[in-house]
Amino acid sequence: MIFARVIGTVVSSQKDPNLNGKKLLLCREVDHEGNPLKTYHVAVDAVQAGEGSFVLLSYGSSARMTDETKNAPIDAVIMAIIDNVQITHQGRSEL
Amino acid sequence: MKLGRVVGVVWASGKVKEMEGCRMYIIQPVSSDGAITEMPLVVADPKGLAAPGDTVVFVTSTDATQAFDNGYAPVNASVVELVDRISSCI
Repeated sequence: MIFARVIGTVVSSQKDPNLNGKKLLLCREVDHEGNPLKTYHVAVDAVQAGEGSFVLLSYGSSARMTDETKNAPIDAVIMAIIDNVQITHQGRSEL
Repeated sequence: MKLGRVVGVVWASGKVKEMEGCRMYIIQPVSSDGAITEMPLVVADPKGLAAPGDTVVFVTSTDATQAFDNGYAPVNASVVELVDRISSCI
């Protein structure tokens, strides 16, 4: 899972039928403090995240493992809205 | 499977229902002597094994979903063992 910030919505009228009714959000990868990184992802929203939300994004085949995304041709899903990240011990600072 | 040390906690109240009751941590991958080996990552702890500061064994990729009872959860990494001690012969 990676940290991301929702920065926009992706609207599409012509798409794979298995994507019908799914909300696609444009996300920018961030570190654990919310500082933006370089990578962007289009992810299916499974938790009613809004623009600006600090979220956890799951990618790859694991992204299909929710009722919302079952059997859909997707490789990224927003699976949690983050309230807080608490660093308790020393590790490498960047994620 | 890799060794890691729990270095942080991720609090999230809005989660997909597959993840309900499952805690999430930040893990720093380490070697058997505790040296840092890779960048930290976010893991799920479906069995409630870990706590901050603990050394654990975690799995990544599709295998991480198998740590859940029905093998069905949108996770990329899961804690599967809590390490008591490591005996190394080298």
